[in-house]
Amino acid sequence: MTRVAWILLFFPMYAFGQPNCNVYKMKGDSMCYHGCLAANVDFPQGSRQSQLQFDKAIELCPTLDYAYAEKAVPYLKRGDFVTWRKLIDKAVELNPLGHLGYRGWCRFQFVRDYKGAIEDIERLSSLTRFDIGYGANSDYQLNVARALCYKALGRKQQAIQIIEKQLSQKDYSPMTYDYLHLGVLKLETGDDAGAIVYLKKSIAYNDYLAENYYYLALVYKRQRKMAEFKEQMEKAKAYYLKGYKRFDPYTSPIDKIYLSDIERELSTPQ
Amino acid sequence: MKQIFPLLFLTIFHSCAQSVKEGDKYPPQVGDISFDKNIDDPNFKPCDESRVFQYYNFGKGLQYKGEKPAIDQYFKNKARLSERAGESGFLTIRFIVNCEGKTGRFRVMGMDAQYQEKQFEKSVVDALLFLTRQLDGWVVAHDDKNKFDYYQYLTFKLEDGKLIEIMP
Repeated sequence: MTRVAWILLFFPMYAFGQPNCNVYKMKGDSMCYHGCLAANVDFPQGSRQSQLQFDKAIELCPTLDYAYAEKAVPYLKRGDFVTWRKLIDKAVELNPLGHLGYRGWCRFQFVRDYKGAIEDIERLSSLTRFDIGYGANSDYQLNVARALCYKALGRKQQAIQIIEKQLSQKDYSPMTYDYLHLGVLKLETGDDAGAIVYLKKSIAYNDYLAENYYYLALVYKRQRKMAEFKEQMEKAKAYYLKGYKRFDPYTSPIDKIYLSDIERELSTPQ
Repeated sequence: MKQIFPLLFLTIFHSCAQSVKEGDKYPPQVGDISFDKNIDDPNFKPCDESRVFQYYNFGKGLQYKGEKPAIDQYFKNKARLSERAGESGFLTIRFIVNCEGKTGRFRVMGMDAQYQEKQFEKSVVDALLFLTRQLDGWVVAHDDKNKFDYYQYLTFKLEDGKLIEIMP
């Protein structure tokens, strides 16, 4: 039971940071102060008490975007995207800067609504001159997520340009999967040399991913370097079996590979 | 952790143990599926109706023999969906995987590209529902001592009747 307990401890993942209610107190907005306090009461995410608590918060303070956004989360995670969208739209309407990036990210990750995700992220970019922030799982700068949406829509060169531009930003620290995605994009667009550079960079940056070796093996396969192919693919398998692989508890990430992908490659006569 | 868990567990599932009263605005948990004698198989039973988890509670993502590609391949091979103009959007089928790995209480939700509710053609719904019911590789959620029931969903992204992608 211990493992389940640990997971449950973290189950409100993708929840928002709780607002500082004193902001409303200082403004003399008693209703919103109490609404905010109500929204901060912790009930299990998605429970009846929790949803009713957010309703209470919204009744006291109809402009409390946090309450709408937080109330929306369990619908998203449980596949009711219609209800999720109604609630998150309200949060976006009240606070576009605070929620557009999140909504865009979720449209990408959960709904695979690539066009919608791009619209949200690009609208957010148009509203601020600062960094637009990160996806809800903190693994992606939103421009990289946007690039992956373009990739999914078949616009791979545009995806490459966006990631390269993001990586060249002066104060940007690459995120865990940036080099992997760029390497895979190079592979998919026929740039073997570029793919090798970025996949090796990805290995140097984060050597806990079977995906790095899997895609590197595919480059060597295309180059007919079959010894290197086999070596890298076997390494991918070993890493996969050790649990060194892409993982998300909710969805299947872009460029994730599975054991069957590796075994198919290893078993195909070369 | 062992001391924390019972309290945590009770807190989380206190709501599940509550009955659904007529007029309740929300079910004990968002997405709960109660037995409906008109549509549900009476032979399917969760092992513990009072605490049906969500698939993501176990930190393993979607659990199916052969992982996600087995599901993708299954529908790719078996879903005989012909091209139908206008049959675009997202069709979600939500259900329970019980502690024996059996499935039941299937519910279908349709959504268009603008996130509005949508009724897909019966033939499309029937085909995907039939195939989803036939899936028999769901992994039983468990820990060292117990097996658990959980809710799972599959969302089918369709474009003019063509199956494009399956989530989650």
